[in-house]
Amino acid sequence: MAKRPGGELATRPLHFIWIADCSGSMAADGKIQALNTAIREALPHMRAVADENPNAEVLVRALSFGNGAHWHCSQPTPVADFKWTDLLADGLTDMGRALRLAAEQMHMPPMTDRALPPVLVLISDGQPTDDFASGLAQLMQEAWGKKAVRIAVAIGRDADTEVLQRFIGHPELKPLLANDPESLVRHIKWVSTAVLKSASAPASQAGGLPAGQNVPIPTPPVVPTDPQAADDVW
Amino acid sequence: MSGKPVSGGAAGPWHWLSASVRGAAHHRSGLPNQDAVRVARCPLPDAAEGTDAPALVLALADGHGSARSFRSREGARLAVAVALRAAAGLPPSSAPSRRKRWAEEQWPTTLVRGWQAAVAQRLARRTFTAAELDPLDAPGRAAVASHPALAYGSTLLGVIVTPEAILYLQLGDGDLLTVGVDGTVARPLPPDARLLGNETTSLCAPRAAEDVRVYCQTLAGAPPALILAASDGYANAFRDDAGFLQVAQDLWDLLRTGGEAAVRPHLRDWLAEASQQGSGDDISVAILWRAAPIAIASTAADPSPAHQPPRTAPCTNS
Repeated sequence: MAKRPGGELATRPLHFIWIADCSGSMAADGKIQALNTAIREALPHMRAVADENPNAEVLVRALSFGNGAHWHCSQPTPVADFKWTDLLADGLTDMGRALRLAAEQMHMPPMTDRALPPVLVLISDGQPTDDFASGLAQLMQEAWGKKAVRIAVAIGRDADTEVLQRFIGHPELKPLLANDPESLVRHIKWVSTAVLKSASAPASQAGGLPAGQNVPIPTPPVVPTDPQAADDVW
Repeated sequence: MSGKPVSGGAAGPWHWLSASVRGAAHHRSGLPNQDAVRVARCPLPDAAEGTDAPALVLALADGHGSARSFRSREGARLAVAVALRAAAGLPPSSAPSRRKRWAEEQWPTTLVRGWQAAVAQRLARRTFTAAELDPLDAPGRAAVASHPALAYGSTLLGVIVTPEAILYLQLGDGDLLTVGVDGTVARPLPPDARLLGNETTSLCAPRAAEDVRVYCQTLAGAPPALILAASDGYANAFRDDAGFLQVAQDLWDLLRTGGEAAVRPHLRDWLAEASQQGSGDDISVAILWRAAPIAIASTAADPSPAHQPPRTAPCTNS
């Protein structure tokens, strides 16, 4: 075959970022351990979904927030190579700072306009102790921040679901409520598989229509309605 | 390799090729190619007046292919058919100012209304089936119920080439590139910042005509040697924009030195490779080129080099 016109071909990057609450309250009742376990157990499923669509290059990162916010894994890492290092819980709930860190990475560059919509997963068991509003505003100032698939998981009954709803930004999509380790595992797996699969599809979405999202979010998993039946309830 | 062969033809100094391949992701999912593309000779009023007015119309549509746009393949085909018909409304060359006004004011509304009417007609003949609606979730079914045209959603790129001017039109994602005789690649219409992350303006949007962008290029300036229209799956297959712009330049080099034979036998393979190793999306292209391009002094009305901001604003329909 004659030389193909054009430059180097490349699959489209899909950035997936865990934004995890590591405040002191996450140390109570095994919440941080449950989160570590849930993410670690979800990784093989995430890799399987990524393998189904070789035209999307799934790149995973994680940032944590407690006293300030820090990149737990700062390099966009191919999901095949991504390994989870346990988070430790301590300190406050500086969620706004975490969103500012995420916002910096949604800027172009380092993002490119050919990327697939990034997936941002915010997981928290409490209320922000810093300026959440300005952090969210900074994120939403970035074109990719606005276009990102933003999912929130509320751990336990003390989680501020109103703040998480503001992060999601779509009234039809609610924070996922995880009141026990089992439901946390289920939600993390859903985000890692169903949401990832939807975000990595090349299908275009018509804008300017009611209920418009640039990625159709699949139906979240059904969690047990009687949390009292579980042994560990947060 | 399956699928339609490469189409081609000539009219006056212009030659054309067009091709479309099913995306690698659609091969995996079983979804057919959602794109449609066609280049045809355009019946202009001048021809009716007995003058020789070779003109071409290019139409390329990219059906959304999303779950909610489950008839987008049909929507793309309707878009192309409507675009070919709409070009017949172009005023005669004796009225260049009317042509420009038509392009800016009537072309977008003619296309959008024509497409919406065609969709309504199809829908009246064949209502949505349970098999089409069942895979949708509740919000998806509600969206389609309140706005049935969403099922047919498609983008549209259009080009009309006349001896005096070239008219470019874009609604939604995809790319229009030109190559000058000196090899300079330009975008007749600047990139639309709204189109990010698979979200696109669309023929199915309620205010679609307002999202249509139009550019009128007079051939009193430097006429392009080549015009490339491509669905977004092509640009998304390259690591960066420079790699995609290189496509237009390379095609021009191949056609200039080797003629149609240097491109036509390979075109579908190139597109398939780009989809497999790149975006995974359907890829369609239409290439118009002048067999014997003539360099004419540049004017301010010409499109700008692709790497620089445009020198003149496009005629946006708003």
